[in-house]
Amino acid sequence: MTPLTTDGPKSSLRAKVRQLRQSFLDRLPQMAASGRTLSASLAVSSDALDEVHRIFHTIKGTGASFGFEEISFQAGIGQAVITAFRDGGGPLSDAGRIADELIALFDRIELLAAETILANAESGDAQTLAAVGGSHPGMSHGKRIFLCDDDDLAGQQIAAQLVCFGYEVVSFADTGALRAAVIVKTPDAVIMDIMFPNGMNAGTEIIESMRRELPSPPPVVFLSARKDFEARLRAVKAGGQAYFTKPVKATELVETLDVLTDREKPEPYRVLVVDDEPEVAQYHGLILSEAGMTVRLLHEPSSILSVLAEFRPDLVLMDMYMPVCSGRDLAQIIRQIPDFLSLPIVFLSNETNKVMQVSALKVGAEGFLTKPIQPDDLISAVAVRAERMRTLRSLMVRDGLTGLFNHTFLSQYLSATLATAARESRKVSLAMLDIDHFKEINDSFGHPAGDQVLVALSRLLQQRLRHSDLVGRYGGEEFAVIMQDTGPAEARTIIDGLREDFGRLSFQAGEQGFSCTFSAGIAGFPAVPSDHLMETADQALYRAKRSGRNRVCEGYAGDGDPGGVPSGERMAPAAPSVAVGRREDIGHG
Amino acid sequence: MKILVVDDDSLAGEMTSAVLEDAGHTVVLAGDAVEAADRLDEGRQKGGDPFDLVVSDMHMPLVSGVDLFRNLRDQGDGIPFILLTGDDPGPVLAAEPRLDGCLAKDFTLETSLIDAIAAAMAGRGAARQ
Repeated sequence: MTPLTTDGPKSSLRAKVRQLRQSFLDRLPQMAASGRTLSASLAVSSDALDEVHRIFHTIKGTGASFGFEEISFQAGIGQAVITAFRDGGGPLSDAGRIADELIALFDRIELLAAETILANAESGDAQTLAAVGGSHPGMSHGKRIFLCDDDDLAGQQIAAQLVCFGYEVVSFADTGALRAAVIVKTPDAVIMDIMFPNGMNAGTEIIESMRRELPSPPPVVFLSARKDFEARLRAVKAGGQAYFTKPVKATELVETLDVLTDREKPEPYRVLVVDDEPEVAQYHGLILSEAGMTVRLLHEPSSILSVLAEFRPDLVLMDMYMPVCSGRDLAQIIRQIPDFLSLPIVFLSNETNKVMQVSALKVGAEGFLTKPIQPDDLISAVAVRAERMRTLRSLMVRDGLTGLFNHTFLSQYLSATLATAARESRKVSLAMLDIDHFKEINDSFGHPAGDQVLVALSRLLQQRLRHSDLVGRYGGEEFAVIMQDTGPAEARTIIDGLREDFGRLSFQAGEQGFSCTFSAGIAGFPAVPSDHLMETADQALYRAKRSGRNRVCEGYAGDGDPGGVPSGERMAPAAPSVAVGRREDIGHG
Repeated sequence: MKILVVDDDSLAGEMTSAVLEDAGHTVVLAGDAVEAADRLDEGRQKGGDPFDLVVSDMHMPLVSGVDLFRNLRDQGDGIPFILLTGDDPGPVLAAEPRLDGCLAKDFTLETSLIDAIAAAMAGRGAARQ
């Protein structure tokens, strides 16, 4: 019992009261748990009656002091039930009923506590850390993570990092509180510590029981200081999808959470079915669309080119024998168009002659399926090939380490976006970002640490920007963001918010922790003409670097004109060598 | 003023303390009636710093708040005493009218407790004159 040392201002009383209210809510599950145990014993002996009464009384009184009227009210009912039971001195059979009733009351109190914690979280009270800087309209929606760790400090650190990646985090110190909260409102994922004051394996135990109770339990990631096999085994058995040992790398945790919480369904595969017999085409088309694919039927081979250009399929499924034009000929026509060179073509035919099949494959078909085919076989044969097509396509436009769009794609996209913007009189902002002292990070902490930083920044950008904003890795440690319908001032505010959050992230290299920053330059079209946009943003970035780094500068029309790098040079494929040289100058300076 | 807060529920005790300290008082917490009696004794010792007021919870295990109050009065200690209860304060005050105040625990404690203390001290002052 430590006397408090608060003095004076109401704000500190507010803070103190808020903290006490939270402690009370956190403690309720434990009180409810012991209340339930004692209530159960009432069925056989009334020894614990006073104790149960006292628990209700405390909840009622303290709950009322803190303004939790409903919780206080329910506890009051419990008290009244016990008083009535005592006065009546009812028979033993009644005791069983009373016990059940009291247990139900404790359940209700626990649920109310969980609901209150969640409601507080939603109103931004108490300990939720909601994503900051939501001024950008359509900022990607935060997914809700419940974090349960009895170590407050460790929990806060993790929560603070996750928030930077756009997650909404609600913290619980107690396993009972977590369980109740999950029942009230299932989160997108749970991050669970394993060791708690109430048991070496309390974390895994509560998750295991939750999986039994809930029809669709949330994915769980375990986080523990325990590195032993037994702890890991228990985690797997409890249904944990991942296991991290402390201290955890935020980027790895986020990567796992991204996968676990990704509820977005991928775009359905697009399949073009070519068959001169409408019924056959329809039958196969039906099987594929039942499996969730988007199907287009084509009976007239002569219109294949326009259909391909318009429908943009992931795969073509065609009959081998058709009048006028055989499948073989059609495949050859398709292959002669550069755009469709990698489009998978699968033949479907009752041809069992191996020689004929091979000749079909020779013209570049992906596979040969024999009719009649089992619906499941058809679906998997098509899905596997369509998926591979997509992966290949994304490899061509994306950067391998970060998964962001690569330089080539970015340049093409910027030109296209600017052309559209000019035509439709819309705004476009371009931000160039460069990690500060990146070379030193690589030198001092090693390249894996540097990669960690690159991945973290790319995730931060991807998660916190809108879907219509395009994020790319321009090269080395340089990133570009193309923001449509966004003026430079707005872009600057957004990037500046990201800059602050990025600076808050901490990285782990071996035993050492470090953090880093980025500088950015921004240019907005149409204030800056489209052919100067890249160069102006670059100049602004250079200015940000020169004036001390870790800041965002805006470039204006005419900034780079006198004696500047000729426009378009950075855009040209030959530019990287020039750019790298200049960036290293910055790195040393 | 130096105030002794008695509550078996530490959170509730801290809540009461926070309100009192915010109003500029010095608070000592006691977790039960026995501890409270000890603290009051210490204050009464020669060279000790005596308490000006007791704010006690009503329902506590073993010795209730009203029992603590009666015990003090039996010992001849007339220290101002305010009782907090989760129940209706009416019947409690009726049963023990000597109390300087009896308040229901609710979220208005922040203002009602300060008002009750002011009223109690004013009443004492008036009685003494």
